[in-house]
Amino acid sequence: MKIKHQLAIFNALTRLLVILVLWLMLPILVENVVYRHINNGLVEKKKKFIEHLNQNEIDDFIVNADDSTETYSQFSSLHSEFLVLSRLQKLPNQEKTTFVNENRIIEGEENEYRILQYHFTYENIGYELEIGSSLAEVKDLTFIIKLFIIIVLVVIVLITFLADTFYIEYLLKPFYKIIDTKIRRVNEPEAFDHTPIKAHSADFRELDSVLNQMMDRIGELFKKEKQFISNVSHELLTPIALLKNKFENLLQNESLNDNAVDKIVSSLKTLDMLKKIINNLLLISRIENNQYAANEVINFHEIVSGLYEDLQDRIDDKEIAFSNKMEHDFNFVGNKTLIHILLYNLVTNAIKYNKEKGSIVVSDGFLNQQYYLSISDSGIGMNETQIENIFNRFTRINSDQEGQGLGLAIADSIASFHHIDIKVTSKPNEGTTFLLLFPNSIKA
Amino acid sequence: MNILIVEDNKELAIEVRDFLSDGGYVCKIANTCNEALDEIGGNDYDAMLLDLGLPDGDGFDVLKAVRKTKSKIAVIVITARGGLDDRIDGLHLGADDYLTKPFALTELSARLFAVIRRMHGYTLNDLVVHGFSLQLQDYKVSYEGMPINLTKKEFDIFQYLVLNKNRVITRLQLTEHIWGDILEINSDSNFIDVHVRNLRKKLDKHTTIDWFETVRNVGYRINT
Repeated sequence: MKIKHQLAIFNALTRLLVILVLWLMLPILVENVVYRHINNGLVEKKKKFIEHLNQNEIDDFIVNADDSTETYSQFSSLHSEFLVLSRLQKLPNQEKTTFVNENRIIEGEENEYRILQYHFTYENIGYELEIGSSLAEVKDLTFIIKLFIIIVLVVIVLITFLADTFYIEYLLKPFYKIIDTKIRRVNEPEAFDHTPIKAHSADFRELDSVLNQMMDRIGELFKKEKQFISNVSHELLTPIALLKNKFENLLQNESLNDNAVDKIVSSLKTLDMLKKIINNLLLISRIENNQYAANEVINFHEIVSGLYEDLQDRIDDKEIAFSNKMEHDFNFVGNKTLIHILLYNLVTNAIKYNKEKGSIVVSDGFLNQQYYLSISDSGIGMNETQIENIFNRFTRINSDQEGQGLGLAIADSIASFHHIDIKVTSKPNEGTTFLLLFPNSIKA
Repeated sequence: MNILIVEDNKELAIEVRDFLSDGGYVCKIANTCNEALDEIGGNDYDAMLLDLGLPDGDGFDVLKAVRKTKSKIAVIVITARGGLDDRIDGLHLGADDYLTKPFALTELSARLFAVIRRMHGYTLNDLVVHGFSLQLQDYKVSYEGMPINLTKKEFDIFQYLVLNKNRVITRLQLTEHIWGDILEINSDSNFIDVHVRNLRKKLDKHTTIDWFETVRNVGYRINT
């Protein structure tokens, strides 16, 4: 999950939590405010009532003075308010006002009321005054307020979520730009773009400058390695050239006996092997040091038929049936010489590890819309462990075979230089298939 | 033919000089860029063998300086760098050929021959050996006017041996000449023998070829 989504979701969740708490507290808040308001109203009414109170009025209120349950009650027509005055059996200890919520039935209709109860003494007689105000409206109102608040909050959450997402995306834009232009597209330090990325956040500017510094260091190392490779080549290959030329000149000497000639020839062979090992190791280093340009359009048909021509001797020598079943024209941009070496090494391997009268098939096609070239042989094959190791340097399947075991290591470096995937399938004694999967992105 | 050998390894320069002198070339050695430029300024050379890694600079600078003058000297760049970019740079700057160290001296003489021939507009005579004539521009061989059908590899082997006549050419040298340098496989290849055997059969039809000698365990030699 991307950081912009994570942040937006986190923000939304915290906001939801705050809203939930608010929502849970809402009834208490509303009731406090509303009840205080109602209480004030009731106290106001009580004051008015008590101010004007006299015996006549009480007598008016209480019709049956002898009846112990005598009460007077009065209510508004919509039952939203009522007033009850009743005589108490004994005198109250003191005047006191209390508020309660109770259900009352007035004219057969039950409602919840906020009720003020006031006990007082008038001319030595105790009375209880009850003034009620209906809560039905208040409940309705509370419900509407709750609903309204919920809607408003949901809308706010949505709006802020979207705003957050866009803002975070805007903030993170330089980050993705850095990843894209500075890291992903850079294959070699020389191709690195040092122009600073415009960013509003100091963090990304810092990241950018640190990356620039790191790339500078890497570039420096690459340069040093290039220099080293060049020095090694010169310092090692010049003496080999000298020895080789001396031996070759020595060989022309007619007075040498057979024994001496044999020794010189075998020394020349050793020198040749040494030269090839050095050249192959240098080749791998140069490929890994990105010293080759990859800008030629490559025609695989041409390379494969050229290879067949070059290697025909070896193919015929083992009476191998070589068939080229390529039928597509795929244009690949890369380094022609390196691709030639890659295919050369795979084909020579297919010859080297083949049986007498075996076969080699070169074919091509598309696998998941990716172009592939496959080179199959009917050779000695390999088991799982051998397959794992074939791309390591100086690995040979069979120690009787010639060569230094660098062919596939070189093939591997060339393939990764061109972003080509090599897939190997093999069965002991049945043969091996090398599948080269070419990337589509560099397609011409 | 005057040849300037620009090489900082003195011993190697001497080996090359001795070899080329045997082939009839007149050679001079320069060990540094400056020496090379002085030599070219003061004398008339037909060809230069130019090593790139020189103590006082890059051989390419010598090449650039030479190409700015009117001198038509043929240049074969010799380097241990072997990087493909170097090769391309060299050919861009006007090098006529490119040889990587370590090279066989016989390969050098073959390249030198080709470069000098090209410089003279291919007007040099065909190679002739014991009545066989090699027409270099169209890869044809004839014996007293009768054409002989050789494969390209057979022709290349024949030409290489003739160019380096009276020298023992090892199988290794022939292999490298025919198949190039990228081989990992058997330097000790017998495949060269197959081609030589076929070549000899084709030549043998016309005349005795006892001058085409097989040197035991080593290779071949054409004697004159």
